[in-house]
Amino acid sequence: MQDILATLLFVAPDWVLSVTRERRPNAFWAEYVLWPAIQILVVLFIVLTLVAYLVYLERKVSAFMQARLGPMRVGPWGLLQPLADGIKLLLKEDIIPIKADRAVFIIAPIVSVVAALVVLAVVPWGAAWATIANVNIGLLFILAVSSVGVLGLVLAGWGSNSKYSLLGALRSSAQMVSYEIGMGLSIIGALMFARTLSMSGIIDGQRLDGIWYVFFQPLGFLVYAVSALGETNRAPFDLPEAESELVAGYHTEYSGFRWALFFMAEYSAMIVTSAVAVTVFLGGWMFPGITGTSLFGFGPIANPTVHTFASIVVFAAKIMALIYAYMWFRWTWPRYRYDQLMELGWKWMIPAGLANIVLTGIWYVLALPKAQGGVFGFMREVNSRLVPTGRGIIYFIVTAFVVTIPIVWGMLVTINRRSRDFNLHEQRQLQSQLRRERLEKMLQEQPRPAETAGD
Amino acid sequence: MAAPKTPAAKRTIGELLRRLLLLDLFKGLMVTFRYNARALYETRDGGNPNQAIYTEQYPLEAARVSERFRGAPRLNLDPENGSTLCIACDLCALACPVDCIEVGSIRREVREGEKVNKKKVLTTFTFDTSRCMFCNLCSEACPTDCLELTQSFELAVYHRAGFRWDREMLEKGINYVRYAK
Repeated sequence: MQDILATLLFVAPDWVLSVTRERRPNAFWAEYVLWPAIQILVVLFIVLTLVAYLVYLERKVSAFMQARLGPMRVGPWGLLQPLADGIKLLLKEDIIPIKADRAVFIIAPIVSVVAALVVLAVVPWGAAWATIANVNIGLLFILAVSSVGVLGLVLAGWGSNSKYSLLGALRSSAQMVSYEIGMGLSIIGALMFARTLSMSGIIDGQRLDGIWYVFFQPLGFLVYAVSALGETNRAPFDLPEAESELVAGYHTEYSGFRWALFFMAEYSAMIVTSAVAVTVFLGGWMFPGITGTSLFGFGPIANPTVHTFASIVVFAAKIMALIYAYMWFRWTWPRYRYDQLMELGWKWMIPAGLANIVLTGIWYVLALPKAQGGVFGFMREVNSRLVPTGRGIIYFIVTAFVVTIPIVWGMLVTINRRSRDFNLHEQRQLQSQLRRERLEKMLQEQPRPAETAGD
Repeated sequence: MAAPKTPAAKRTIGELLRRLLLLDLFKGLMVTFRYNARALYETRDGGNPNQAIYTEQYPLEAARVSERFRGAPRLNLDPENGSTLCIACDLCALACPVDCIEVGSIRREVREGEKVNKKKVLTTFTFDTSRCMFCNLCSEACPTDCLELTQSFELAVYHRAGFRWDREMLEKGINYVRYAK
């Protein structure tokens, strides 16, 4: 019964049915054409405007962090700056290099931006009807379609017929692919508790378990955060597009609106990876006391429309906090060299993700109810779903922070013992000792040449 | 490792913990966050010497220059009777290293009580701001504190003739358009 009720919440509202004059059981145009079209238009409009204003926000945040003001002239506090930028980019001359592969050059930004925008269909923007497509495999869909974005990069780099673009595209695509693996592995730990790949199902899991999964999976969150930074080519992993390095990497040869499309793809990817982090680890659109669960008896909002709008606002606030963190990291930390970046992705993030899966699995199996073969019995079955008890919650949190993290850290240190940069301390000691020995040898040998000269 | 482990080569627990908990990274984050927060709540004015943002939004805000800044020249008037303080001694023109001052004067008879003196009276005073290098030698040479370089620095004009300032312009000063948006 509860599953039927849950699915009913994602159908078209009544006023759409009154427009198409169909009855609910077999409403085709309302359910599958009109209502999704309205949702898509709203989401696209909001997200594209948000992308433009994220550029403005980045400029302001970076300015404040650098003790300056940022855009101030164009509107009050520079708020119309994105509008001016958009108009400028539309009116710019469209330059295509003569020797560039025209078809590939034109298609590359389209592939990039479409791959970035398609993902918005499965993101759970809020409760009830605030998702466009509530598929069972939402998370898998997001990971898969993000991978298509790499194709756009490679096409851009190759089609530009320029060495900087090609090198930038190669580096960028290699980096994105490496960190995608880390991203995929890091969320599996949380998926063990959620038992579903559906985005709204994961949020529901956090509601039923009564806790955000970030407390069960701090290592998973950390690995996901680092991998998301690497996936979206954001600092400190932005060597492929740093201006002092490769001019502008794969989008060197693009001007005007084509460049704007690449920019939109990058910022949409930021939004989507933040949305996945919020959904899987930070409780999605839930906030205790407003939506989702009750806090101190102050229950979730009763009126369903207000509840959904409040959930959208909560989700947006959480995403904006993560995006601020993206910008904060970019303007604080220096960037990684390319080989350090790849080493971090392959030798630190992927082993950490794998170890997280193994250890989480061990804790999970140990905590199964005794009837299913577990040892501690810290979970109970509620509506054919395993929910941790109060003790179970404490057990999972303690094992995650106190046992998993030291074990994984020790394992990573052991794996990377031979790495060049890691034992820099000892290498320097060895260097100074060798220098001292060489100096002593030189001082000992010095009298001999003087004797032969005296002969 | 051939080298024996000296005390300096061993890492302390504090160092290990600092690496694990990424403490240095968070210290950097706190610095930028503090700048960000200060930029939002601090008032920006000259009275706060340690403010986070020093940006002066010229031409909205008047640009601040120091008191001894040497800008546009001015001939001062006597505050009591509004006559010029200039005694046409020509010392400023002599002191100027780029010859941008021309002083014109006549001798007039002035009755002071019993005696009748012939005193020099200023007629024209031409100052070429395009040649001036604002070195202040003329102002230092002036014995009556008449010629003074003020703090006004917006001296751009549309035609070359506008650079030669006559006596009236020097006494009144130029008024320029203030951009308020």
